[in-house]
Amino acid sequence: MINLAPHNKLGLIIDSPLIAGSGAAGYGAAWPPGLHAEDFGLIITAPISATPRKGKAQPRLAEIPAGFLLETGDHNPGLRRVLASHVKTWRKLKTPVALSLVGGEPGDRAWMAAHLEDVEDVIAGVELPIPETVNLGEAGALIAAVRRVTPLPILARLPLTRAAYLAKTCVVAGADALIVGAPPPAAYPVDGDWVEAPLGGPIVLPFTLRALRQLRDMSLDAPVIAAGGVQTLDDALLCLELGAMAVQIRSLAWRDPAAAHRLALNIRSFMDAEDN
Amino acid sequence: MIQTRALLEAREEAGSALSLRLRAPDLAAQLVPGQAVLIQTGWGYDPFLRRTFHPIAIDSESFAIRLAVDGDRGRAWLRLAQPGAELDCLGPVGKGFILPSRARRILCLGGGDAAWTLLPLVQRAAALGHAVTLATDALSKRQTIPAAMLPISVEYHIATIDGSAGRKGALSALLPELLPWADAVIAAADMDFYRQLGRAIEAARVLPPKGYAQALYQMNFLCGTGACQACAVDIAGGRRRVCLRGPVFDLVDILR
Ligand code: FES
Repeated sequence: MINLAPHNKLGLIIDSPLIAGSGAAGYGAAWPPGLHAEDFGLIITAPISATPRKGKAQPRLAEIPAGFLLETGDHNPGLRRVLASHVKTWRKLKTPVALSLVGGEPGDRAWMAAHLEDVEDVIAGVELPIPETVNLGEAGALIAAVRRVTPLPILARLPLTRAAYLAKTCVVAGADALIVGAPPPAAYPVDGDWVEAPLGGPIVLPFTLRALRQLRDMSLDAPVIAAGGVQTLDDALLCLELGAMAVQIRSLAWRDPAAAHRLALNIRSFMDAEDN
Repeated sequence: MIQTRALLEAREEAGSALSLRLRAPDLAAQLVPGQAVLIQTGWGYDPFLRRTFHPIAIDSESFAIRLAVDGDRGRAWLRLAQPGAELDCLGPVGKGFILPSRARRILCLGGGDAAWTLLPLVQRAAALGHAVTLATDALSKRQTIPAAMLPISVEYHIATIDGSAGRKGALSALLPELLPWADAVIAAADMDFYRQLGRAIEAARVLPPKGYAQALYQMNFLCGTGACQACAVDIAGGRRRVCLRGPVFDLVDILR
């Protein structure tokens, strides 16, 4: 068992270091064939905003060498409708669920976190993606505002290229764990138009590894979760060796659910062998 | 939806392109014409995304896909695959065509390469005793579906842009004479054609009733399960995921 929020009195105990992250299974109900909630220690939902967002018009997807760019514009039905349609599913799952709360207006995330009070027994934590462009003060304020209104564990998702810069501030402001993180944004042409979005797929792994190496040397008092580019057991173990307590997958679940399921089994066997 | 390894049984020339017959009984048994299969291409992580195909033939044990000649790296890799190779497939994705049981006369309209994806439906409809007319267009005779691939009972109309077979021009030119005959329309083409079809139906029938015409919305899927949101388009009065709501829609919903 791994506690991703050791300093939070609620804790966030996961029974596998593998996390279905960034909406790998949508809001916890869109499972690819052969992959199940039980394969994971934690499920982090697709982005949820205070009000519904239509997201970006097509094109949303561009293929690049060894990866892709996916720009959904945080398309989602808004907090109220997500809760109305999914709380029942989450209640039935044996795997804990964390909600990814994305901002719009200042204060949106704190407003959403405050509205989770009634479902705190169902939700294991909240993920807060930290925007690429914020400075230290803004990042700290964003976390602190949510910290003030909810006892739930906060997982701060840091931009990979700025993780070292932002990490300490986020922990001091109240983040229970750090997710490294959000891949760098990029642009690629599609059918005479452009897709501008964070990188996705195996191309991201070297960015994740660099961020992990930087954080390893910072003696942070918070667990680190690796997210970005992990496709194989070797990739996952590399992240764990670099100090990550858990590893998140997304594109692997979408592209090759059978391989994701194998990874889930193998990582459990590896952890069991380590424990014995 | 399942993930399975399909055995490449045969490669055949199909018009100007190549068709691959893939044996995958568990997947073939679930496939409905118009649904998609997502196939992994390449050896490693490049290309990373699966390629989307709408099968051009389906039987109880296998299905076939068509590879037109284009500049895509994934399809180029598939063109090199030899019989005996195993291909990783995810499918079926989405909702396929529904054979309108009460319609006796079914008009199938295929624009360009998409016309080939109508073949499994044409076969099924003819086998069930529907009167079927297939009308397609292509750049030239080389890209047209050979008549020998169709059941003998199917009436077949062709339009070619260069006039090398059938009527010279585009498929839309055939609509005024064919639409009044049809009880139901099944289409696979592009959005421009769907708009023309909508107008032609209105002209022929006063009001295009819901359920009268079904149309295939073609796009590339990433996950096919509704998780990634890559396939959301403005359709049926909202921004919806084609892999869940489609890829076959009522024409009224596509045009709305
Ligand atoms: S392809 Fe992923 S949601 Fe449709």
